[in-house]
Amino acid sequence: MKYLKQAFDFCVNEWKSYSKNIQITLLVLGFLVAGFLVFGIQILFWGLGYTDMNNMFAFGQWIIGDLGLVALGGGAFTTGFILYIFRNDKLEPLINSTVLIGFLCYLFTLVFLVFDIGQPLRAWFGYTYPNWGPGLMPQSMLTEVVWCLTFYFCVLFIELIPIPLGHRLLDRYPVIHAIGHYMHKLMWIMAAVGTFLSFFHQGSLGGGMWGVLYGKSQWFRPHFFFLAIVMATAGGTSFMILCAWLAGKVMKKEVVPMESFQSLAKVSGIMMIAYLVFNAYDVYSMATKYVPLYDRTFVDTWGGYYGIWMLVLEFLFTLGAIVILVVPKFRNTEKTMVYGVISGVMAIVMNKSITVLHGSSVPNFPWKPFVGYNPTIQEWFVFLGGLATAVLIYMWFAKYLPLFPHADKHAHGEEHHA
Amino acid sequence: MAQEKKKESAMKRRWGMAIDLDKCTGCGQCQVACSQENNIPLFEDDSELLKRVVFLDVMKVTNDRDRAAQYPNVKTAFIPKMCQQCSGNDPKNPKPPCVSVCPVVATDVGDDGVVSQVWSRCIGCRYCQASCPYEARQFNWWKPEYEGSFKESLNPEVSVASRGTIVKCTFCSHIWKRERDKMLARGVKDINAVQYTPACVSGCPTGAMVFGDLNDPASEVSRLAKTDRAFRLVHTIDTWDEAKKKEAQAKKDYPNPKVYYLSSQQWLRDMMRFK
Repeated sequence: MKYLKQAFDFCVNEWKSYSKNIQITLLVLGFLVAGFLVFGIQILFWGLGYTDMNNMFAFGQWIIGDLGLVALGGGAFTTGFILYIFRNDKLEPLINSTVLIGFLCYLFTLVFLVFDIGQPLRAWFGYTYPNWGPGLMPQSMLTEVVWCLTFYFCVLFIELIPIPLGHRLLDRYPVIHAIGHYMHKLMWIMAAVGTFLSFFHQGSLGGGMWGVLYGKSQWFRPHFFFLAIVMATAGGTSFMILCAWLAGKVMKKEVVPMESFQSLAKVSGIMMIAYLVFNAYDVYSMATKYVPLYDRTFVDTWGGYYGIWMLVLEFLFTLGAIVILVVPKFRNTEKTMVYGVISGVMAIVMNKSITVLHGSSVPNFPWKPFVGYNPTIQEWFVFLGGLATAVLIYMWFAKYLPLFPHADKHAHGEEHHA
Repeated sequence: MAQEKKKESAMKRRWGMAIDLDKCTGCGQCQVACSQENNIPLFEDDSELLKRVVFLDVMKVTNDRDRAAQYPNVKTAFIPKMCQQCSGNDPKNPKPPCVSVCPVVATDVGDDGVVSQVWSRCIGCRYCQASCPYEARQFNWWKPEYEGSFKESLNPEVSVASRGTIVKCTFCSHIWKRERDKMLARGVKDINAVQYTPACVSGCPTGAMVFGDLNDPASEVSRLAKTDRAFRLVHTIDTWDEAKKKEAQAKKDYPNPKVYYLSSQQWLRDMMRFK
């Protein structure tokens, strides 16, 4: 009873210590998480009939979430690779936050996948009855996604361990300090393994999974696998900057030095150029080579709610990100840099929305119209509630664990100075 | 990359179907027979069409696509559409669009070309549904229910699917298994389309549907599939010249379905093309 009271008092005092804005944010996030629990139970126990997906529109909001989270979380492998393999030490202050975001993105990708499948209790079939096919490579792109995602999730988990070990309560024990220290030293191995794994599942979930569907004119193209890898490298890095920058704004201190942001923003900008060129080739090859194989024209496959405006918007976002992140004048100004990374993230979100929304809406028969989709309240709460949970976990890490060593050093320095 | 092992068909049969749309009246008997045979759920309110489970859908098609046709020139046809049992480019090494995508091997293609689906293996990811160009795969969005006394008439040879699984037409493969076992007991090792006929074909009152072996050149279905009246659903590659066809097939697989439709009406054949 005494401990309960202590815990309650602790919570009340914590709550009172927060600013009004943080309290409102926490209330909104808590409301979404509560909705996530209620509607999540409804979906798991009573099925997907409560979503707006149907036999014409097999994938919806959660799959957009999955594709987006994996592509944006993919910034973790790019950042890790540049830091540990290319030895760009400027990214050191960003790495803990990056690993955590990657971990959360992959965690919630798996959570959304479990919600999205009709038989969540059979989710383990993916491991026990994989469609491996006769060769070394998996036959089904989804088999590759399941395995690769799981392995990379484990890699991110291992990469995450040194962060809690760095907490001052644990770090004072020499054994734990040594474990954390050597794990950090050997992290380049994990970064290399992670990059290797990421190349596969970024390609398969983001593009290959759709590119192999030879019966569908809106998805089929063999190079889609590679386009998705470039996309994740370009947009993921922007997302990592955006999250850490937002954390700094909320915490009202410099959590990551600007030069770290700029260094990664430059990478993102350059990769955005590669993405723009590849994406332009993708549209060109779809229009001239792949869609005509179906006796259809590219323009006619666009219509209904999800018209070609989505494609235009995606290109505009990509161009915006390139101009801001590549030109040093814009990149070195904090405000414009933030617009640039938002633009980069939006380009990826648009691409994933095109893949799922536009792709699913295209009619299969000439006499049928384009199909529309309007997510139900259950879908919204599971989706936003899942993201809210991820934000809460991130906030907890940022508050209680050494997520931003640069900010901690800075703060300790101030204390020392005082 | 390891070379894919070719799976040559060991059986003589390659089951296919021909449906004469000029004979079809759209009565829906095939759909009823299919639903009864395959334990299709029957909800009290089945008005949510896009979430309804049907293996065989009777699609209504008119020449009034652009609202331009005027009476008395409005024409209507009904297209019974089930799983088209795709083969891919090479029927001897079948590669339907939906089989290779399944992450848990819940679907496969037999050596007789029939695409199967194991309800109890399916995890309900719906990837196969997205891959199907003929909308033949259906998902159990709700727990299957049977209104009134329909539960008492369930077919014991077909398992009732769970909620959250994909189901599809298998050319009533349970009938094939039953008839095969019967014939084996009599010492006959191969069966023909007389002993094995899917429920929809048996139910058709006008004889519009013909079922048989596409490998047997003397069979009725083979003969019909080769006539000028035959076409396949949205499979315009059939109308291309050989050179163009070969070039296209080198670039990608085509579904190459085993269900043929027959019609002498040009407008109906034109409807198979996207504008």
